[in-house]
Amino acid sequence: MGLKPKVAIYDFTDCEGCEVEIISLRERFLDLEKQVDIVDWRLGQERKSFDSAQDKYFDIALIEGAPITQDEIDTLKWLRENSQYVIALGACAALAGIPGIMDQEKRAGWYKKIYPSTSSGQVYKPKGIDALPLSAYVKVDFAIHGCPVNAGELERIFEELLAGKKPSYRPYSVCFDCKRAGNECRIINKKICLGPITQGGCQAICISGGSPCYGCFGPREEANVEGLKQALKKFADEEEIKRYFTMFYNKNEK
Amino acid sequence: MITDKYIAKIEGHGSLETDFSKSQVKLHIHEGERLFEGLLVGRTIEESHWITPRICGVCPIAHNLASLRACEDGLKIEISETTELLRELMVCAQMMQSHALHLFFLSLPDYLGIDRGTELAQKNPKDFKAALDIKEVSDDIAAVVAGRNVHPTTTTIGGFHKIPTREQLEKLLQKIKQTRASAGRALNICSKIKFPELKVDLELVTQKKEKILSNKNDPSTPLRVNPSIKNYKEVITEEIRNYSTAKFGGYKGREIMVGALARLYFSDHKEKEILDFQNPFHNNIAQAIEILLYHKQAGKILEQLLASKSDFDGTSKSDFDVYASEGIGAIEAPRGGLYHELRWNNKGIITYANIITPTVQNLTSIEKSANALLEQNKEKTQKEKEHLLEMLVRAYDPCITCSVH
Repeated sequence: MGLKPKVAIYDFTDCEGCEVEIISLRERFLDLEKQVDIVDWRLGQERKSFDSAQDKYFDIALIEGAPITQDEIDTLKWLRENSQYVIALGACAALAGIPGIMDQEKRAGWYKKIYPSTSSGQVYKPKGIDALPLSAYVKVDFAIHGCPVNAGELERIFEELLAGKKPSYRPYSVCFDCKRAGNECRIINKKICLGPITQGGCQAICISGGSPCYGCFGPREEANVEGLKQALKKFADEEEIKRYFTMFYNKNEK
Repeated sequence: MITDKYIAKIEGHGSLETDFSKSQVKLHIHEGERLFEGLLVGRTIEESHWITPRICGVCPIAHNLASLRACEDGLKIEISETTELLRELMVCAQMMQSHALHLFFLSLPDYLGIDRGTELAQKNPKDFKAALDIKEVSDDIAAVVAGRNVHPTTTTIGGFHKIPTREQLEKLLQKIKQTRASAGRALNICSKIKFPELKVDLELVTQKKEKILSNKNDPSTPLRVNPSIKNYKEVITEEIRNYSTAKFGGYKGREIMVGALARLYFSDHKEKEILDFQNPFHNNIAQAIEILLYHKQAGKILEQLLASKSDFDGTSKSDFDVYASEGIGAIEAPRGGLYHELRWNNKGIITYANIITPTVQNLTSIEKSANALLEQNKEKTQKEKEHLLEMLVRAYDPCITCSVH
């Protein structure tokens, strides 16, 4: 990486909320942006200033969203070829996120219902293939988790990257964040929670607000998924448990 | 000629196919379909307001509230006054967040001689400070009331899992007072900009008091005669186009513009006097006016909340029973009227969902205005025209991620 790493920010199909989080860093974003050269960012700027004579155009490609269309899949492969580090930004890129709830085999039926043919005979031609994480197509070097990403984590990971370190994942689950936030344990209160198997770092923000944890930070290493399922079965039915495991893990369940 | 490039600085992926000889523009929408109306089916009603904000990271609060309203409409739930006020406060935050992001990071750079919004920090630090102030105060309100600046965590059917403390509300009020000048500054910046001239016979449509209003309807029509939001499907129509993954909407098939400019047309705020309601570029000024109006409104609501006897301790939630039903939740989102319709069974499992977003309704109007722009600027070079077209698209503040949901 040069003195100022060349950064590209791309978004595929998603809500763009993770990029909104980047802008929401405000003054801290100004500090970060001084340390890098954002050479390609459609949402933020018109300028595209990468040098196509270079071997790798980008030091870091930050990619938000799930590649759903062929065009997105091709762009993703191009980004992989031309970037030193590919980083997934947020749950859609890392896990297929909310779009991943849709099973591929059900897409055709929904296209017919959502985009009905007109009486004049116009038929809709779908563009989406399947909502999958980036890792279904290319090697991903690191994932910044969350739906949306957590501002503090975004900064921490960027600082590690800029210091030339390989960024690290938090070595604990959401339970640790949750205890620190002073929340009552949902599982003890017989409410489904994916916190125990989920990567920490989110500060248990959903649970603190009263919402469930659907595991948007992704499964932590060596998570005991079966163990959690057994514990949940003591008070919840299978359908209910399945709904939790298909919110973010529909395309990733280990 | 197809300009095979995505328009920069708009939310989502769109491009223009322009036939300069015929002054005809097609707005291609490329975003992948997430099929939200399909993926909601089989989920619970309590999950709907958790899932739908993920349609759009720029206006998640609007989707959150629309889903909640649909469920509360179907289950005849009365919400408390505190809930109502806190939700109104969320709307204020949402409007300011979204408008500030659009103006300072997406549309105004065209007029301020910069590319990336943050370049304003060098060029005019005071203006940039104002932008950050508006972003900060609105993000803070969203974080305190909704639990997070993007994608709410505290809201639930019937109210809030958790409400702010009195101390938190006092702090927000203080911050509102400190940032009033910054909210005014945004309008000041916009009112000094000379926006391109354009004259389009715009049909402006907005939701007001549970009705759908259009400036093309007879103005002497009493409000009550206008179509109710309950009948939105009869009025707000959608069609498919072979060059777009978003449907194209309208008012009974006619091109309409929704959003800040349309809302102000139907309001009685005196600030609207500076607006030209036939020039879509003025949507930028309308958003700046709304930043100030919602900033003032946020202050009023906070004062009202603090004057109430509530001890702001814990939750604000109405009880309800779940039964099979259906409901409609409509709300003015930053970009215009948003409609969520949900149907569910006796277990509260969603069996049908229909969502019409504001940008879907604006797409037809964008094309109409783009054609007019080319007609009215024939003397300009192709390059100038291309740039003007992109500025026009940005003025509408299209949220393509919303439009292809």
